[in-house]
Amino acid sequence: MPASRFTQTGNYRTKYQQDQTIFATYAEQLSLIVLIGLLLLLPLILPKTMLRDVNMIMIYAVAVIGLNITTGYTGLINIGQAAFMGVGAYATALAATRLNLPFFLAIPIGGLAGALVGTFVGLPSLRLKYLYLAVATLAFQIIFEWGVGHTPLLAQGGAISLPQVQVLGVKATFFNHNFVWYYLILPVLVVMGLLWRNVLRTKHGRSLIAVRDNDRAAAAMGINPGTAKIMAFMIGSFYAGIAGGLFAYFQKAVVIEDYGLHISIQLLAMAIVGGLGSLPGSFLGPLFIVALDRIVGSGSQWLGSLNIFPAGVDAATALRPLSFGLAIVLFLMFEPRGLANWWRLSRLYFKKWPYKF
Amino acid sequence: MSQVQSPQLEVQGVTLTFGGLNALTDVSLSVPQGEIVSIIGPNGAGKTSLLNCISGFYHSTRGRITFGGHDLSRAAPNVVTGYGIARAFQNLELFRGLSVVENLLLARHTHLRYSLLDSLAFYGRASRQEAENRAYVERVIDFMELEQHRAHPVGTLAYGIQKRVEVARALTLAPKLLLLDEPMAGMNVEEKEDMVRFILDIQREQGITIVLIEHDMGVVMDISDRVYVLDFGQLIAGGRPAEVSADPRVIEAYTGVAEEQQAVGA
Repeated sequence: MPASRFTQTGNYRTKYQQDQTIFATYAEQLSLIVLIGLLLLLPLILPKTMLRDVNMIMIYAVAVIGLNITTGYTGLINIGQAAFMGVGAYATALAATRLNLPFFLAIPIGGLAGALVGTFVGLPSLRLKYLYLAVATLAFQIIFEWGVGHTPLLAQGGAISLPQVQVLGVKATFFNHNFVWYYLILPVLVVMGLLWRNVLRTKHGRSLIAVRDNDRAAAAMGINPGTAKIMAFMIGSFYAGIAGGLFAYFQKAVVIEDYGLHISIQLLAMAIVGGLGSLPGSFLGPLFIVALDRIVGSGSQWLGSLNIFPAGVDAATALRPLSFGLAIVLFLMFEPRGLANWWRLSRLYFKKWPYKF
Repeated sequence: MSQVQSPQLEVQGVTLTFGGLNALTDVSLSVPQGEIVSIIGPNGAGKTSLLNCISGFYHSTRGRITFGGHDLSRAAPNVVTGYGIARAFQNLELFRGLSVVENLLLARHTHLRYSLLDSLAFYGRASRQEAENRAYVERVIDFMELEQHRAHPVGTLAYGIQKRVEVARALTLAPKLLLLDEPMAGMNVEEKEDMVRFILDIQREQGITIVLIEHDMGVVMDISDRVYVLDFGQLIAGGRPAEVSADPRVIEAYTGVAEEQQAVGA
């Protein structure tokens, strides 16, 4: 037995079942629990406007986990993740407004709708690879936007407002909306993250990675590459659908602009910056991109106050896309493995700190 | 021949055409259960093409391939694997980023029977089967003497070891028939001896039928129960090693016609 299960540095496992655990030591397990505990306290200290951003980061994180499943782990480039989010959002909106379902049923319906459509859209992946498949998902994004724009049932892309929710006697109102939704989104994110982490240690997770790395060899292992790809699309768009349902409630209304091509690109950027095929990256990517956007936003406000630009010119309109693009290019050039790699390296450093051996 | 064994793998009149070029022409052969059958021939003779036809990566233009009652002629690679045919590739097709253990665990895919929902929860069935499978994988690692490389990413291992991992991975599928495509190419004598020992162990201890493609004539003649010779996509000889090595057509295919014979003929 090791001296302490909190600080063990060697491998003291005696059963294969022990080797399946996600966390190597109790310390790692404890650090996650502490982190979640701290996150539960976060809304008490954060200003309201920042809380809104944190909610957005968490919802995008759910969608980015989904995108990582199709693009990161399975290697199928998907430029239509926002459209899958949109499918979930509209399904949730219809379930909530037409069927009067409560949010805890409406959001899973959004997820299932996303999975259903994702499975169908994933069918071209049986024949198409790489960029050609990316174009097929791009086509779906365009079709989705056009389709919504021409459907009276979906308000032709205009706003469908969703009812305010009531949880455990607390009614979400204009004043505590972000607060209430923080506590609804966080558990969803944690559960969705854990579910995917579970899949990663099973045959289903392995089969996706196998198809990405070498689909010939995967077939020789008895894995049906087609089934694996469709499954990747199904799970990935389920995550997108759940994110869409959350986003619909969080924005209090569904509008087509929230699920456009630029959001798909943004999700892809989050996945790349976070690190493709990495679960921690799925959290870090959205955090980085949203934070960058806000920092550049307030930076350009400061620039505006210097009165160096003509009146009516907002530096943010130029600087926000510029910094966004620059961040992606710099990451692709200097850290293609994304923030997840920094995360990994810093963990490695602290594991050996100060002088464990 | 003492007794006629029931043939397991039957290749009947297989022709494979790539746009007017015949890679294989009317090839028929049978692989009896439990034997080591070698396919030899000069480069480009169609050996790997034949293996590709058997394992489902190519579909023959004409002819039929059957294995234990299953028709393989139109089956997809993953279906063929499901019938109990495993293959080790000539040009390493390993999952380079994954460790040896993970590579072998992938080969257990069809032996794991739990649903996606079990995977999501990872409780009970999934967890138990994963542990059992890990134990199985460790037995194969033991058998193939890969213990010290277990946790290393495959891409970082030496070429000879990677070849061994390739065979180990095929073996982890628990096949009835093992297709080995030049498992000894590019190895030194010592590594070759190791590999020969593994192949013989696989056949004798586990009773797995082996189809072997190999260029090293010494190895082929030593360990094969039966040898087939391909040349320009045609089967030119087949039989016991001694018969084949004495066959004039085989000698001609390998060394060309001797000059004085040509002179006499002309």
